[in-house]
Amino acid sequence: MTERDFLCLTPFLIIAIAPVMIMVVVSVLRNYKVVYGFSVLSLLAAFGSIFFVLPSIPHTIEPLLILDVYSMFFLGIIIISALLVTFLSYDYIKQLEGVREEYFIIIFTSTLGASLLAVANHFVIFFLGIETLSISLYILIAFQRSKSNSIEAGIKYLILASVSSAFLLFGMALIYTAIGSMQFGDIVAALTGHDPLSLLVRSGFGMMMVGVGFKLALVPFHMWTPDVYQGAPAPVSAFIATVSKGAVMAILIRFFFIIKGFNNHYLFIVVSGISILSMFLGNILALRQKNIKRLLGYSSIANMGYLIIILLTGSNKGIQASIFYLIAYFFTTIGAFGVIALLSTNEYEAEKIEDFKGLFWKRPFIALVFTLSLLSLAGIPVTAGFIAKFYVILEGMKAGLIVLIISMIINSVIGLYYYLRIITMLFSTPSEIKLPKLSITGNITIAIVGISILVLGIYPGWLIDLIIRFVSL
Amino acid sequence: MNVFFYIAAVVAIISTIMAISGRNAIHSLLYLILSLLAISVIFYLLSAPFIAALEVIIYAGAIMVLFIFVTMMLNIGLERETEKKWLKPCMWIVPSLLAAVLLVNLILALKNVKSIQPDEEAILPKQVGISLFSTYLLGVEIAAILLMAGVIGAYHLGSQKKKVKHRFLEIN
Repeated sequence: MTERDFLCLTPFLIIAIAPVMIMVVVSVLRNYKVVYGFSVLSLLAAFGSIFFVLPSIPHTIEPLLILDVYSMFFLGIIIISALLVTFLSYDYIKQLEGVREEYFIIIFTSTLGASLLAVANHFVIFFLGIETLSISLYILIAFQRSKSNSIEAGIKYLILASVSSAFLLFGMALIYTAIGSMQFGDIVAALTGHDPLSLLVRSGFGMMMVGVGFKLALVPFHMWTPDVYQGAPAPVSAFIATVSKGAVMAILIRFFFIIKGFNNHYLFIVVSGISILSMFLGNILALRQKNIKRLLGYSSIANMGYLIIILLTGSNKGIQASIFYLIAYFFTTIGAFGVIALLSTNEYEAEKIEDFKGLFWKRPFIALVFTLSLLSLAGIPVTAGFIAKFYVILEGMKAGLIVLIISMIINSVIGLYYYLRIITMLFSTPSEIKLPKLSITGNITIAIVGISILVLGIYPGWLIDLIIRFVSL
Repeated sequence: MNVFFYIAAVVAIISTIMAISGRNAIHSLLYLILSLLAISVIFYLLSAPFIAALEVIIYAGAIMVLFIFVTMMLNIGLERETEKKWLKPCMWIVPSLLAAVLLVNLILALKNVKSIQPDEEAILPKQVGISLFSTYLLGVEIAAILLMAGVIGAYHLGSQKKKVKHRFLEIN
C-alpha cells in the first residue's frame, strides 16, 4: 500500500474507524447524544473527504479496488443517504428502551459495506461488501428485540439473504472455474471474443443474478420485501430501500457494463424479463395494500424494475440516467419513510393508511412533504421522480427498448392509483388519532428532503450537467 | 484422482441430503459433520491441504461440536432416555459406514499421492498467509469489520434485560 492508496481510501478509513471509536466511547460512557453527534460528524467528514480525494483519482488499488468518478459519485450518494437516515433515526431510536448506541455502530458498518460495493473491482470485495452490508442489516432489522414483528423480519431476511449469498458465491466460483481470475478486468479480457459464452460462465452469471436480484428485490426474488419493510424500524426500511439497493445497483451497473452484458442475447432476455415482471408484479401487488410500509416495499420492487432497464441501454448516457434516477429515488424514499418514522412512537407504528387520515389538517408541513414524496414516486411533473422517469424513458427509447418502455409507462399509470389513494386520505376529514409531537431534527430533515425533491424536479439541469460532465465508465 | 473425487463427492451429497431431511437434530448434525469431512477430502484432492485441514478443524471440529453440545444441553432433564435413544445402532451405523468409506478413500489417495497430483503444486499455509497479508490485506481488514458487526449484533440481540424486581414479587 502506498501513500496514494491511503489518501484515496480516506472516506473508507473514516467510516471504518468511526464505529471502533464509538465502541470505545460506549464502553466508558453511554450517552446517546454524544454517540449521535459523533456519528453525524463522522459521516459529514467522510462526505467532505470525498472532495479531498477527488484530485488523486482515478486510481486503482491492485487488484481489489477501483476508485473513479463513478464510484465517488455513488459513495457520495450512499453517505448522504446514510446521513439522512441517521437524522431520522435520532428520535425513533431514542424512545426505544434498553441500549441504543449500538444502532449507530451498525449504521457505520453497513455504510462501509455499501460503499465498498461502489469501488469493488474484484469478486472478493464484492462478496465481502455484500456480506458486511447484509450482516449489519439483519441486526438493524431486528433491532427492536421486544417486537415479534421485528424479530420475524430479521430472521426472514437472515435466512433468505444467506441463501442468496450462497447463490452469489457459487456463481462467482463457477466463473472463477471457467476463467481463473476474480478480477473484473481479467474476466472481461477472458470473455471478449467468446460470443456464445460457455455453459459454466452462463450458469455463473445466472446464479449471480439470483444473488443480486435478491438484494435489489427483483421479481422472482422479492418475497422478503413487504415483510421486512413492515417489520423493520421505519428508518431502517429507508436504509434498506436506499443505501443497500443503491450500492448493489452500483456494482451491478459496473459489472454488467464492463462485461458488456447487453450484447449477450441470453443476459438481455433474462434482464428484460426480470424488469417487466418486477414492474407489473410490484405495482399490482401494491394496489390492495392497506399498510403503507408494505405498499412502499412493493413500490420499491416496481421502481427497481424501471431502473434495470438502464442496464440494457449499453451507453454512458444510460449510466448517467441511472445515477439521476437513484438520487431522485433516494430523496423520495427517505421522505416517505421519514414521515412514517416521525409519526411513529415506541408503542405505535404509524403504518396503516387510516393513520394518515386527515394528516394535512393536523400537521400540514409533513403532510405536504409526504404528498411530494408520493407524487415523486408516481412520477408527476414538478417533482424529482418525473424528471428521473423521463430521463430513463428517453435513454431507453434511444436504445430502442420499446417493449420495456411501454410496460414502464403502463405501470406508471397503475402506480398512480395507489399513490393517489394515500394522498386523498391525507386530505380527508381528520380522525381522532393522537399524533406525537414532532422534533426539530425530524422537521429539518424532512424539510431538506422535500426541498431537494422540488429543486430536482423544477431545476434539474445543474445536476444532470454535473453527472454528464464527470460520470462515465 | 477421478475415482477418489467421485467417492468423496457421493458421500458429501448423500450426507448433506440426510442432514437436511433428518427429523432428529443429533442425527442431522452427525450427517452434517460427515458432509464437511467429505468436502475436506475433496479439498485435499484438489491439492489444497491447508484448506482441508481448516475445514476439519474449524467446521467439523469446533463449530459442529459446539452445535452438538448445545443440542444435548437442551434436553438436560432426560439424559438417560435420550442417550439410549441416540445410541441405537440405526442412528450411528450409516454415518460411521460413510465415514469409514471416506477414511479408506483418503488412505488410498494418500498412497497414490504421486498419481493424483501430477502437475499441480500443493498450496501450503505459507503461500496462503503471504497472499492474505499482501495482496488481499484490505479484504482481511474488511472481514474484521464484518466480524465486529456480527459480534455487536449478537451482543445486542442476545443481551438479557436486567430484572429490577425480585423474581418472587413478579407473579403477574
